[in-house]
Amino acid sequence: MKWYEIISRIDRRIIYLLLTFFVVLPFFIPLTIPQNIMPQTQKLFDFIEAIPQDDKVVLISFDYTPQTMPECRPMAIALLKHCFARNLPVIGVSYDPQGPGLAVEAFATVVDELNAHAVTREDSLVYGEDYVYLGWKSGRIAALLEMGENIKGVYPRDHFRNAVDSFPLMQRVNNYKQVAIAIVLAAADYPLDWIRYPQTRYGVKVGTGLTAVMAPKYYPFVQTGQVSGMMSGMKGAAEYEKLILDKGYAKELGTAETGMNSQSMIHILIIVFIILGNIGYFFARRKKSES
Amino acid sequence: MKRLLPLAVCLVMGIVMIVQFFSPHPVSLQFNSMILKWVIILAAFAMVLAIGNLIRHHGIKIQRHKENWPFSIVTLASMTGMAVIGLFWGVEDGSLFQKIYLNIFAPLSATMFALLAYYMASAAYRAFRAKSLEASLLLIAAFIVMLGFMPFGQYIHPQFPAFAEWIMRVPNMASQRGINLGIAFGAIATAMKIILGIERSWLGGKE
Repeated sequence: MKWYEIISRIDRRIIYLLLTFFVVLPFFIPLTIPQNIMPQTQKLFDFIEAIPQDDKVVLISFDYTPQTMPECRPMAIALLKHCFARNLPVIGVSYDPQGPGLAVEAFATVVDELNAHAVTREDSLVYGEDYVYLGWKSGRIAALLEMGENIKGVYPRDHFRNAVDSFPLMQRVNNYKQVAIAIVLAAADYPLDWIRYPQTRYGVKVGTGLTAVMAPKYYPFVQTGQVSGMMSGMKGAAEYEKLILDKGYAKELGTAETGMNSQSMIHILIIVFIILGNIGYFFARRKKSES
Repeated sequence: MKRLLPLAVCLVMGIVMIVQFFSPHPVSLQFNSMILKWVIILAAFAMVLAIGNLIRHHGIKIQRHKENWPFSIVTLASMTGMAVIGLFWGVEDGSLFQKIYLNIFAPLSATMFALLAYYMASAAYRAFRAKSLEASLLLIAAFIVMLGFMPFGQYIHPQFPAFAEWIMRVPNMASQRGINLGIAFGAIATAMKIILGIERSWLGGKE
């Protein structure tokens, strides 16, 4: 077998083995490569940074799934840390049936971490006062539109079956007029529904945190201003982690940073394999045309 | 009558809801709110229907010992088990429901999805060949975006990440906008056809 045939027919088991090796490697040899911040991530950070305290709430729609957790969970954690550090109340909702379990986990992770360092009652995060998770609701588009009139009409009870009216936070939130921005963390086209319906009708500001494969579709909406900021894939999450770390809202970088190192390694590996495959292909083609 | 009534309801409600969208009158808003509540309730009923269908499908599979029928037992037992645990023991952080979700369902789902990376790497190596000008352009653009979006990208050239971002913001955005407009026009045309009764496949059955 000629050398160009060898490099264009590498056994897939070798590819799988190398892939596993390079995914795991950054977990044992940490790399610290500075992140360059993309404009759309900066826009989202700046938007939340500019929300006045004791005014409006931040609404986060947890619509990611376990499959896309490595990309979207760090976004959720970083966003929650940012909002809570700025004393911005957060209301969580979900329209993907797989979302609630992950939303509860994300809230618990951040709240437990921040409350562990709290000294006074004012420093602590209290459910119903600083944050609420309303849960999943069927009939997504209808629910999104109806929330523009009355959020409590759509969610009379929260995810844990408590009456929403009993929460001090929900007593001052009636509809989108009290929402500064709705940020949709998703692996599917959920943000499009937010742009099409509540934004068109009620003018609600929309931000997104999307998987890398979804992000290209939303660039036109960022350009028109319909999306006020976007985290794109694991890179977007790592950028947001860096932004909140630099501002002093977090003590250390999150899991997206390590994930980015693994992802970068894999991208380089894939590029190397594609180049090898193409070199083999060109030489084989040349040999064929010569003969 | 069986076909005429749904068509009439569709026509009337379609036109009413379009007109309502542009009317800020309190009566119009109240009507909209009522209809939206109906839709949310109807969507919940659709879920009940879906669960019923799932039970029926897998029940028949188990009863007739069709291929892979033991997996149907797992499906039904998992669905019933999770529903009972969630209903009676709650869904709070630290609850049994949450523990099962985070420690069994989430890793299983993530593992299935992670396998995709292996297939993608293998498929990219085998199929991503610069066989034509278009394929070569795609290959070059993919390399630039992949390298530019990596933290390493800035070491190739300080402007390299900005160039990758430009590809996403200009050529990508232009094509995405074209696709989005095409989809939007298609959706408007389909909606009009349904409202006016030209498109009747949603009624089911034969014409």
